[in-house]
Amino acid sequence: MAELDPVIHAQARLRIMATLATLDADGSIAFPRLQELLEMTAGNLSTHLRKLEDAGYVAQDKSFKGRTPVTYVYSTKQGRRAFEDYMDQLRELLGGTP
Amino acid sequence: MNATDDDTPLDPAAMLALSDRQQHRVSTTFVRPVVTILLVWGVAWLVGFMALWLALEPNAPFSPPIAVAGTGFGILIAGAIVVSIVIGSRMSRGIRGSAVFSGAVYGWSWSIASFSVFLIGQALINAGMPTELSMLYYPTMYGLVAGLLYLAGAALWNDRTQLFLGIWIIVVSVASSFAGTPTNLLIMALLGGGGFLAGTAAVLIQTQASRRG
Repeated sequence: MAELDPVIHAQARLRIMATLATLDADGSIAFPRLQELLEMTAGNLSTHLRKLEDAGYVAQDKSFKGRTPVTYVYSTKQGRRAFEDYMDQLRELLGGTP
Repeated sequence: MNATDDDTPLDPAAMLALSDRQQHRVSTTFVRPVVTILLVWGVAWLVGFMALWLALEPNAPFSPPIAVAGTGFGILIAGAIVVSIVIGSRMSRGIRGSAVFSGAVYGWSWSIASFSVFLIGQALINAGMPTELSMLYYPTMYGLVAGLLYLAGAALWNDRTQLFLGIWIIVVSVASSFAGTPTNLLIMALLGGGGFLAGTAAVLIQTQASRRG
């Protein structure tokens, strides 16, 4: 069996990917709202997002709401696929146990 | 530092549970504001229709003037519409995508539909509908529209609570129109308003259960 994707196989990054997977295919979420749903510090979330971004699983989109800059985060097509593959692999690994 | 902020993996079963728990938590966050909306509607119908019934029922224990009851009813319903739209628009704050469009269309549907019921009622009154008939028309049509919008909400968000509530409100509204005025107002207050409050309790129990789980 192939090894579990090390980019997703970490508690914080799995929770991020799981949260982004609940959005619509064309959906994205503002950084502060994502932080709220994950209960992570901004610094910690940024660190993990950078790792996911480096792997091409997550992308960020900076825009303005009035004069305030807002960063929207979303899962790329590649990221959605990687998350689904990871979850399938987990279920397969657990397949033998009740 | 929170344990779940960790960079380390757990065993596969725990990771699977972690992912499920997080996704469940996200959906619960989006459902919780629904409790407030249902509660506001429950109180508005219970108090509003009860006041109308008390004003029109000759054997009622006490009777407020019909003008007071009518105005109170209007304020309660208008307030509930405003609260629904405000909370509905806040539910998707910080989120972009097609779901936001669905939510906005749904919010506006309430205003468009309620205002249409009011306008058709005015047209019927202009065409000679007596007050007694209008007391049958408004609650039933308003209840039918509210029930249909709950069914639309159930379809949009895949939500069973709204499905049951929609069917219940429609059944109560249609049945109440056969009871005649002013008994139909009492039915709308107790079974319609009570239905919303039961829906509130159902959502609360669901979210409590998921918090423990």
